[in-house]
Amino acid sequence: MTTPEQAVRSARQAAASMREQGAYQGDTARHESPTADALDERKLWRWALIDPDISDVRSTRRFGAPITALKRTLVRLLDQYHQELIAEQTRFNVAVLERLTHLERRIAALEEERKR
Amino acid sequence: MIVSQVMSGAGPFDAITTEALTFRSYFRRWGWGGADHAFRIAPGCDGALSPAAGLQPAPEDVLLIHHSAGWPRLGQLMALPNPKLLLYHNVTPAGWLWEHAPVLAAHCAAGREQLAELVAVVDVAAADSAFNAAELRTLGAERTEVIPLLVDRDKLGPAAAVPTGPPTVLFVGRLSPHKRQDEVIRAFALYRRHRVPEARLMLIGDPVSGRYVQTLRALADELAPGAVTIETGLSEAELGDRYRAAHVFLCLSEHEGFCVPLLESFHFGVPVVARPAGAVPEVAGDAALLVDDPDLAVVAELVHLAVSDAELRAELRRRGDVRLEEYAPERVAARLRAAVEATANGG
Repeated sequence: MTTPEQAVRSARQAAASMREQGAYQGDTARHESPTADALDERKLWRWALIDPDISDVRSTRRFGAPITALKRTLVRLLDQYHQELIAEQTRFNVAVLERLTHLERRIAALEEERKR
Repeated sequence: MIVSQVMSGAGPFDAITTEALTFRSYFRRWGWGGADHAFRIAPGCDGALSPAAGLQPAPEDVLLIHHSAGWPRLGQLMALPNPKLLLYHNVTPAGWLWEHAPVLAAHCAAGREQLAELVAVVDVAAADSAFNAAELRTLGAERTEVIPLLVDRDKLGPAAAVPTGPPTVLFVGRLSPHKRQDEVIRAFALYRRHRVPEARLMLIGDPVSGRYVQTLRALADELAPGAVTIETGLSEAELGDRYRAAHVFLCLSEHEGFCVPLLESFHFGVPVVARPAGAVPEVAGDAALLVDDPDLAVVAELVHLAVSDAELRAELRRRGDVRLEEYAPERVAARLRAAVEATANGG
């Protein structure tokens, strides 16, 4: 019997042994989740341009398909209004990011100048 | 005594809402009154909770504040003169959620900021795990209590013998990036490819967004076509059926404030393979196979061992029963009662 305390060591040995026999080739490493990363500039730019996904509009009830259909119809009927909201919010987001990028460049230039 | 419970959000399948409603049944048993409130109430709660905007407690009523996300009107809550008991369930770091659930991420970011404010005004600070209590201490709480999540095992239904059929791997938890269902799919695909081609994987939980579920489905279709089912909105009876059909529970979550499914797995006698993240080692104790190896082949082999070694399964089942005793509802209820009474008496 393998005890719980021995199990991980046994699994490591089994994985190594299987690998020698040709199994577990290729990528078996743990993948770091990209969403755990810090907010970098590229990601902020992507998020600044709002593009809501209508598939997120749904009912969470068990038999909610008709309610989902109704909600999505309402969203489509209000599309003109939503486009206006999206345009104004996107304008603000992009303007703030441009300003931020400009400030970062100025700080970097000033720091460079100070070093000299 | 009157105890009003307040939470920022409530949902029909949410562990904290379920716990609050279980608390309420204990309060009634102890002859205590009060009601349960939330600022955001999801459809399906069926009138079990009232909107927090209508909360008007008498000055001596105890407020039990369940904290797991940002509060829209925290100032109003803190300004109330009532004795306050904070029960901290942990707040998911927003970094995990910005990509797929930006509104929830914003609530979580606010929730982490607000935690320090809450710690400063409550009479008693409690958390559902020692892992979470340590966070409260870093924010200035001098004394903390641990009141583990109260799991009503009667609702889960009976355990079953080892299921027949192809090996079935199960994970139960919110379909969210920090739970790493993507890694569960990758590890399962290795197990299936190199050990048991007919194995199946069941992922169960409410999604943080439809987009995230689509991402998981695409990964499953690529790595293990036809072998992965993703289910949401299950009733307790249906959830019990899934546990009874499982040969092993695989949790590769990277952030857990408690992890109720570990106790549910122990209840159903399902062996657990898990990453030792957050409160997982504390809750699992010696009753789970904890693996932190970066090589998913080791995880796949551990799954194979847990499925195929009958004696190992029996030993894990025995240890799981011991862990369940540690988290027995009557023990948790006694801690809860002591904390509420201490709050009513000024901490």
